[in-house]
Amino acid sequence: MDDWLNQCIREVKAGETEAFAQIVDAYKDKVYQVAFRMVGNAQEAQDVSQEAFIRAYTNIERYDVNRKFSTWLFRIATNLSIDRLRKKKPDFSLDAEVNGAEGLDGYAQLAATDALPDEQVVTLEWQASIQKEIDTLPPKYRAAIILKYMEDLSLQEMSEILDLPVATVKTHVHRGREALRKKLKKW
Amino acid sequence: MKHSDSIHRYFDGEMTQIEREQLYRHLEGCSECQEHYDEVKKSIALVQSASHIQAPKNFTENVMSALPQKKKKRTIAWKKWSKNHPVLVAAAVFLLFMSSMTWLNWTGMSGGEMAISGVGNFEVDQENNTVIIPEGEVIEGDLTVRNGDVDVQGEVHGDLTVINGEQYMASAGQVAGNIEEVNQVLSWLWYETKELFSNLSPDQED
Repeated sequence: MDDWLNQCIREVKAGETEAFAQIVDAYKDKVYQVAFRMVGNAQEAQDVSQEAFIRAYTNIERYDVNRKFSTWLFRIATNLSIDRLRKKKPDFSLDAEVNGAEGLDGYAQLAATDALPDEQVVTLEWQASIQKEIDTLPPKYRAAIILKYMEDLSLQEMSEILDLPVATVKTHVHRGREALRKKLKKW
Repeated sequence: MKHSDSIHRYFDGEMTQIEREQLYRHLEGCSECQEHYDEVKKSIALVQSASHIQAPKNFTENVMSALPQKKKKRTIAWKKWSKNHPVLVAAAVFLLFMSSMTWLNWTGMSGGEMAISGVGNFEVDQENNTVIIPEGEVIEGDLTVRNGDVDVQGEVHGDLTVINGEQYMASAGQVAGNIEEVNQVLSWLWYETKELFSNLSPDQED
């Protein structure tokens, strides 16, 4: 693994808090992206990804240097996301519309410019609609689809992140893919 | 094998070249499977086309300011050590406590006014901070003087203790018991300790 990352982790373990900023900088986009795709809106994605980094920091002693750091970090982030989704489960379907709108905000936040060209607005809306479809998947299938198709991870890595056997992960990918196929075929 | 299963195997990237060719051939003649295949392919493409999202501005700063304060390694080592040596820690705490108490008492005393305990006729010379036992006078019991000198011209039948001062003995003066001068913190501490024990043990009298 990168010497740079190992060096940072060693420093953080030794109490050099500042070294953690480099780790956050390097992984913030990946972690935020996973959290955003999982919870479906910018505010909660920010809460979840921030919490994920704080947990990584406080539990850095438990990180096994022989394993991939991003796997460990993704595992914390997906667990927190799934917990978050479980908590708001009761009003899930009622919220679907609202979630979609919040997803839009999430994309709007990407663009720093005040006035967006029309085609960019269309792209944002389209992106938000895809997120809205992802939001309707049950959390375990959602996690499988996000890690496989958005993060491009192997089944082995997914199995470590999700703490599930490879065969189970594969089944979740299949079911998630089938669910999405049915939702997206009208597109 | 069911065709939907083989489509899954195809998209899982688990098919051999031969299997893939078989599937393609099948799709040509089976519109249902072709449709299924196209739909899966499209949904994967749509999900993959979702643009990559970046973390909001100041994300790192926010995380860093939200981190709990972590102790440096040294403190952790000290903590571990102290867990393994509870007796030493207790002793250290006790010593610290005692010495601060002693210091407080000592400093509080040395700056304080003269204090005399004992019964008898003696004179107190405020100007010179001296207790004078005049010639011919007898102090029957013990006499203790703090923050002052003692000039013994008469007699003291008990012990004479002078804390933070000096005792002068005239040639005619007499002290039947022990004479003790306590000027140093340590000897004062020793004196206090002795006092404590002699007060505690009942058979000390007589």
